Amino acid sequence: MFRRSAAFRRGAATVGAAGLLLIAACSNSASSGGSSAGGGATLTYLTFNTPSLTPAFWKDSIARAEQKAPGVTIKQVVAPSTDRDSYAKQLQASGQFPDLLQSITPSQYTEAGLLAPYDQSWIDANFLLPQGNAIKGKVYIPPTNSQIIPLVFYNKSLFTRAGVQPPTTWAQFLQANAKLKAAGITPMELGGNDPFAAAMPLTGALSADVLGKNPKWLQQRYAGTVKFTDADVVAAAGKMRTLVEKGYFEQGALNVSYADSIKNFNAGKAAMYPMGSWYLGSIPKDQWNNIGVFPWPTDDGSVVVPFAVGGSMAISTKAKDVKGATGFAQAWSLDPDNLKALIEGDGAYPMLKNKALKDYGVTVSPAFTDSYTYVTDTNTKVSSIGWSTNDDALPGSLNNDFYAAAQALFNSSDVKGQMSKLDKAWSTATK
Amino acid sequence: MKPLSHWFRDTSQDLGLRLIAALGLLLYLVFIVVPVFMSLRSSFTDENPLKSGSNWIGFGNYSEMLHDSQLRTSVVFTLLLAAGVTVVANLVGLAFALLLDRTALSYRVLRTVAFLPQVVSGVIVGFVWKTILTQDGLLNTVLRSLHLVHTPVDWLGKPHLAQFSVGVVVAWVLSGFTTVVYLAALQNIPQELYDAGSIDGAGAAQQFRMITLRMVAPATTISVTISLITVLKLYDVIQVLTSGGPANATQSTAQYIVKMAFTNDRFGYASSIAMFLLALSAVIALSVTSILRRREVDL
Repeated sequence: MFRRSAAFRRGAATVGAAGLLLIAACSNSASSGGSSAGGGATLTYLTFNTPSLTPAFWKDSIARAEQKAPGVTIKQVVAPSTDRDSYAKQLQASGQFPDLLQSITPSQYTEAGLLAPYDQSWIDANFLLPQGNAIKGKVYIPPTNSQIIPLVFYNKSLFTRAGVQPPTTWAQFLQANAKLKAAGITPMELGGNDPFAAAMPLTGALSADVLGKNPKWLQQRYAGTVKFTDADVVAAAGKMRTLVEKGYFEQGALNVSYADSIKNFNAGKAAMYPMGSWYLGSIPKDQWNNIGVFPWPTDDGSVVVPFAVGGSMAISTKAKDVKGATGFAQAWSLDPDNLKALIEGDGAYPMLKNKALKDYGVTVSPAFTDSYTYVTDTNTKVSSIGWSTNDDALPGSLNNDFYAAAQALFNSSDVKGQMSKLDKAWSTATK
Repeated sequence: MKPLSHWFRDTSQDLGLRLIAALGLLLYLVFIVVPVFMSLRSSFTDENPLKSGSNWIGFGNYSEMLHDSQLRTSVVFTLLLAAGVTVVANLVGLAFALLLDRTALSYRVLRTVAFLPQVVSGVIVGFVWKTILTQDGLLNTVLRSLHLVHTPVDWLGKPHLAQFSVGVVVAWVLSGFTTVVYLAALQNIPQELYDAGSIDGAGAAQQFRMITLRMVAPATTISVTISLITVLKLYDVIQVLTSGGPANATQSTAQYIVKMAFTNDRFGYASSIAMFLLALSAVIALSVTSILRRREVDL
């Protein structure tokens, strides 16, 4: 009898333990919450790592903001890749939506009522472009910094060798490419194996030519009054195809990784590099005086700046302590040390009110200070297509389809056909 | 007749086994059966991961699938990849198994090496092969140093070449598994069969055709079926290697499902594609198994 009951008890205990484990595994650990030693809430904070936003950066920045927001304890949740939006949605689907989310695309969550807007008076008081990230008039991520996507970086010594000046018009740009090629210099570097990098010339052309003339174009696309197959859009996209057909990109550009493209351009293997302003953080110090920058050229030479206002964190409406989360987010967003790391490492342009660049104690390249003038000067700033986080953000997976269209233009001369695919993808993404 | 205490012991052991089996069944139900039924239910709705609640839309998602050109492209690519990789991985696996079917220590070490691709995570495989296949990667560097090519080959940059490259990498991964399956089968072939064949005057080629191929037929059935299923649901290697590019040329159906679910927020539609992929995999697996089983009997 003893053996039987012992075996029975062992088996029952195993099943019981497994059942408890299952229940525990299926329960919502994030939302079950917890309390810090001080009695305040423990909040989950979704972050992600990049070469400049390192684990050490997050650890230090969280610790500083925790000190300024007493009673809040942060539990960091690190996204497995830089695609934090997909990860945030996976967490939401499994009932673990974080309380705070760093650098997400808020437009993807606002319709579902998942994000709490910031107090507008606090936004107005602290930021240069208070409505830079606004969605239907409300701000869900503080507009702490900005990027220009793309700029065209150039190698001054290679330009001199080919007798080329930085171009301001599209015609001059084509001439510069032709002269560089004739001089035996690869005109443009492109890490097209990474889809977002392949799309830089298309982003530049559409932002400058289409949005430059009609800044409301994306809103009109949402309303269905304009399309990618419209003549002006096809003409702009055709410019990228022209650059491909004339052989101005590095040979095998779609076989070059983003990381290799930076290495190649820094090593002087190509004269120009269309890339987001975050490349500023990757210019080696010994090249600081050799790398120049100009905006993506327009037909008439007017300066159009494809602009994206970046920001810090969004707050979940379901956060265990929305007030505490807001305090932490505000402290993090205004911390000059965080901006210093972003300026130096990520080429971010600071957007805090009443602060000059020198106030951050940063050391930046001449290319940074030159390009920063495009942010501070009066010019035509438009949403960088595919990069904006405000009302102009693209729906669903359209960014991926946009990148795919850019890659397709390397192998297909059917520009209108590719734009037609984008219109179809738009329909799928907005269903 | 068994003593009474033995009956109690047998019964208690039996009860323990039953409980363990019940636990296994419970885990299978919770983690396999229930999610499949949840997904099936979701496929008839407009479920969105960001919203609570959903509407029943009948066969709306399935009807949309018929007109989805991106889905069609990804399914065609996935099917071609599955067919090509299965053939190559099984041929390579059988060849490796024949080479490694020795008892010396060095061969045992080589067997471990042959199995390594299967052990390494798909993400790591993707990263490693990406560094090999990019413009200034190892392969182009070697080819250029040997003067076999003058300009680097766009292994991941041209649509058809990228599809071929993905196929080679996935076949490389799977060949570790197929090698082990065929090795196990080869080691179960009695030596007497070869001895009898030799006495009858059969040469090496005849012995391979008449003995080896016939005796490994059950292993072929398993290896081919598992290879097909593995490739039909492939995600990680391709995601890291090409991100589905260039221009969606290497986008697998599994990648498309993830894109629909977590980028377009269309859980319902993604579930309908997942159901389709499940059904497709089941039909292919059952058909192939049935054909190969019949072949086993014929052999």
